[in-house]
Amino acid sequence: MQVAFSLIDFLLVAPALALFVASCTPLLIKVLCGNQEQNSFATLIYAYVGIVVAAGFTLSMLGVARSAFDGALVFDGISFCTTLIVLLVTAVALTFARDSYSTNPGQFTEATFLTLNAAIGMLTVVWANDLIVTFVGIELFSLSLYVLIAMSMEEKLSKEAAFKYFILGSFASAIMLYGISFIYGTVGSTYLPDLLQASPNLLATNRLFLLGFVLLLVGICFKIAVFPFHSWAPDVYQGAPTPLTAFMATGVKAVSLAFFLRLVASQAFTVEKFWPFVDVLQWLIALTILVGNVGAFRQKSLKRMLAYSSIAHSGYVMIGVVAAGIGGSSMLGAGGVMFYIFSYSIMTAGAFGVLHILEPHADADLTLEDLKGLAREKPWVALTMSILLMSLTGIPPTLGFFGKFFIFSAAIKQGLVWLAVWGVVGSVISVFYYLRPVVAMYMEEPLLRRGVLRLRPLSYFTVAFLGLLVVACGLAAEPVYQAMLSSVSQVF
Amino acid sequence: MLSADNFLHIGLAHYIFLSGILFSFGMIAVLMRKNVIVMLMGIELMLNAVNLSFIAFSKESGNLNGHIMVFFVMTIAAAEAGVGLALAVAIYKKFHEVNIRFFEHLRG
Repeated sequence: MQVAFSLIDFLLVAPALALFVASCTPLLIKVLCGNQEQNSFATLIYAYVGIVVAAGFTLSMLGVARSAFDGALVFDGISFCTTLIVLLVTAVALTFARDSYSTNPGQFTEATFLTLNAAIGMLTVVWANDLIVTFVGIELFSLSLYVLIAMSMEEKLSKEAAFKYFILGSFASAIMLYGISFIYGTVGSTYLPDLLQASPNLLATNRLFLLGFVLLLVGICFKIAVFPFHSWAPDVYQGAPTPLTAFMATGVKAVSLAFFLRLVASQAFTVEKFWPFVDVLQWLIALTILVGNVGAFRQKSLKRMLAYSSIAHSGYVMIGVVAAGIGGSSMLGAGGVMFYIFSYSIMTAGAFGVLHILEPHADADLTLEDLKGLAREKPWVALTMSILLMSLTGIPPTLGFFGKFFIFSAAIKQGLVWLAVWGVVGSVISVFYYLRPVVAMYMEEPLLRRGVLRLRPLSYFTVAFLGLLVVACGLAAEPVYQAMLSSVSQVF
Repeated sequence: MLSADNFLHIGLAHYIFLSGILFSFGMIAVLMRKNVIVMLMGIELMLNAVNLSFIAFSKESGNLNGHIMVFFVMTIAAAEAGVGLALAVAIYKKFHEVNIRFFEHLRG
């Protein structure tokens, strides 16, 4: 068989190549200079150059819908949107990581290398058109993240978190791979279009395929942290260094959801034999929202609170995924999911960023007490945090409100009224724990003397930028939503 | 249902059944045991069960893709074992034992 690649294939994967070159350069310089850690700012600049070049290539290919490397990778609207989101959160996470106390300053080069390679893995998942490519991408970013978490300065928590993440992540990958093997056995290929074409028929007739498909979905649900598979998320998000939490909570979820969208694009959920599973999925979503909100309600640690809230958010966004998979006007659901991924990534990265700025030392675990009276000492930080938290709650002029609005309205249009109502109830519960920090910042006296925080201009600037983005995209939600809709229209 | 034929001719179903058993053993090892090394072995067992089922399907259908996937899975399993053992060493250094019963800092 003749295998030929054209230049355009390489142009299409150029973002990943650019990131890879940018990730190797600082490491190579470090090795050539006798293993001396170089200026971390220079390392950061290399990474930025890689990310900007990658974003440039992505933007230059905007609107092209084609596949590369014999159909192993596909470049369509979902790929482009999610690629840009992943690049944004990578840049944000690297900026935070340089300033953070919990990442080892002697190993920032390695951290950059691993972060950029995790981003490459995420891009691979987003582009993948073949289940085995998806799997390789998932493993690439997961392995990078395990090492990144364990590399932190903090001694015990991060090792524990890294190992928990490793075991549960590998467990989920193995389950997913087992599902892929059944799919391969019944369809005869792992090529995603073949699978999607065959799935409505096979789901109804072939039990082995059904089992494989369900195992595959379980594997993804692990990554998204849907209810029975959510228990790793709070532990890992709390134990990891805050900049990495911002990266994991956004990037991993964004790409897993993008992959989920590709799977439901076949409208496999409309097959009658699969309805019991769709019902189960709906119940799991309802429980995810409940567990996330009630869990967040009980937490003292702010990081853990945000971790539980991210579980609740994966519940909301999964409503959109179901709405996108059950036929009818599924495009609305898919557009809502893309918009939600975008808004969730910005809000969550920003909220973890504020916590990162306020952390006084390596193993700090901020609680509500630490935020008291912040508005008097650092009015701008307090304002940004309030905006981000209000956006996470879903209060109107912000991005988070429109994310929820588009998802819930798509759900109602698709007849999933009870899920939409449940989502609104969950949001109402979430008001309490999201606004508690805001009240503490503005209305209470500071209890403890806060240590002097080192000035970290880049992190401040990034957090302010994310806060501004939340407001600006919230005010201009309609054009953004239209862009998302047109991006998913190529697939749905 | 059960006849001598089931035992005399080893076919696809036997391999799938075996891979299912191996996979379950791996899952049990990961979920039940507290020793880090045993958990890692459980993960490897799960991945190898997947390999077996890939090979069996591939042999059955005469389609070579399955063999290629096994190479991918083997590579990834090796990388996973490398990272896992590195984590085990890091855990040993901090906790002085490769056992997860000391994992009590993150909960709630």
